[in-house]
Amino acid sequence: MMASQLSSSSMLHQLWSTAWPAGVTMLGLALAFAIVLLIASRRLRVEVDPRVEQIAGLLPHAGCGACGFAGCDQYAQAVLMDAQLIGRCAPGGPDVAGRIAGMLNLQIDRSGPPVRPIVLCRAHLADRTHYAAYRGIPGCMAANALANAQACKFGCLGFGDCVRACKFNAVRVVDGLATVNYRKCTGCGACSKACPRNLIVRVPFGHDPMMTVACSSRENGKTTRAMCQVGCIGCGLCARQSDTFKVEDNLARLDYAKYAPSGQHEAACNKCPTAAIVYRGQSAPAPRPPNAK
Amino acid sequence: MDRFMTLLMGFLSVVLVNNFVFTKFLGTCPYLGVSGRIDRALGMGLAVTFVTALSGTLTWMVDAWVLTPLHLEITRYICYIVIIAGAVQLVEMYVRRFFPSLYEAFGIFLPLISTNCVILGICLFLDVWGTDNLLEAVVVSTGTGIGFTVAICIMAAIREELALADVPEALQGAPITLITAGLLTLAFMGFAGMIK
Repeated sequence: MMASQLSSSSMLHQLWSTAWPAGVTMLGLALAFAIVLLIASRRLRVEVDPRVEQIAGLLPHAGCGACGFAGCDQYAQAVLMDAQLIGRCAPGGPDVAGRIAGMLNLQIDRSGPPVRPIVLCRAHLADRTHYAAYRGIPGCMAANALANAQACKFGCLGFGDCVRACKFNAVRVVDGLATVNYRKCTGCGACSKACPRNLIVRVPFGHDPMMTVACSSRENGKTTRAMCQVGCIGCGLCARQSDTFKVEDNLARLDYAKYAPSGQHEAACNKCPTAAIVYRGQSAPAPRPPNAK
Repeated sequence: MDRFMTLLMGFLSVVLVNNFVFTKFLGTCPYLGVSGRIDRALGMGLAVTFVTALSGTLTWMVDAWVLTPLHLEITRYICYIVIIAGAVQLVEMYVRRFFPSLYEAFGIFLPLISTNCVILGICLFLDVWGTDNLLEAVVVSTGTGIGFTVAICIMAAIREELALADVPEALQGAPITLITAGLLTLAFMGFAGMIK
């Protein structure tokens, strides 16, 4: 009993006699370095333009890279040097552009519609033909390398490379089709870069809902019909209703800049035999089923 | 003369024979990360050399004159880490002030010098090798940094040439870099056992 008490107190004593020189040494070291670094930070201070920090403070710091710079700080520096770069920030949109311009004492032209992505395919799993089940790497890039991952060589593969690219959680794969949530979308364009089939195009979204020919198939009408129930067969019925539609390579295209809601467009949408013409946007109605053949 | 030979041998030993990157596989993070271009590699090498020289010397001094007399060898790691972190801070401020483009190019790798194993490695190896005077510690720790610079510069030169080579698709990027690193190590194995 006595012995154990004695040994524990001597251990405590030993611990203490080791601990205080260690503490003093550490404190001394830390103090010495603090002084050296303090002097160094005074001597080697870098003057950063305060405006760079102000602009960086206005940016959303999403780090999406839509502006073409490595990050928001680099963009802030570049904008200060070259005011033409204002408005490159897609997530910030006209709001941030306006505030940066205000800070730099500039005026910007706020007209022009925002740019939003549209997926040029509307085929859900049941609409498409598959020759066989794809059991490879679950990614669009890999599936696209395989010729027969699905019958249509143009349509959405539905493995969600765009979903992974989106920093704003605005793209989902719904029943095999990439679907943009336009309430969350900022138009940064990350999804359109990620799509190996270049299905996602960025268009001037002048009206919401926006009309589009949601298909990319350049096969002739018969082949397209065999592969997909809702593909554009290039029949040209829409082009006869409105001259904003053009048919090239068996595929109708809408001139988005010229689109405005009208009876002609409504008629074109309703006449499309495969219902490939649909609305996209926050207030888009559900697409109708294709006409019976 | 005899003393000079000892110093020269110690220097050559850490630069060529016992090069930290090639024989101890320490510091491979910046060795692979910043070796894309030779000018950046040289800058990185010089920054690491400065830090190894400074922290190797300082840690030897602290170890020999403070920790060992007070029997505080147990706190070695913490003291070394404080010294290394301080030295890296110093380098970071200096590079930012005088070489802004290099500062941009280094990015995260500059503060990461503080976790570079070469540096803690040399501080600890000075003790393991039983370095018993200050001059030797200075020469060996500077030599370690120069050895790292040599390694990263050779690597960067090879990778610049590799950028023009027709590398098989499966090996592009990291795999060919690792293979290069392995072959380079094999070449330096030729020096093994010459000194120490």
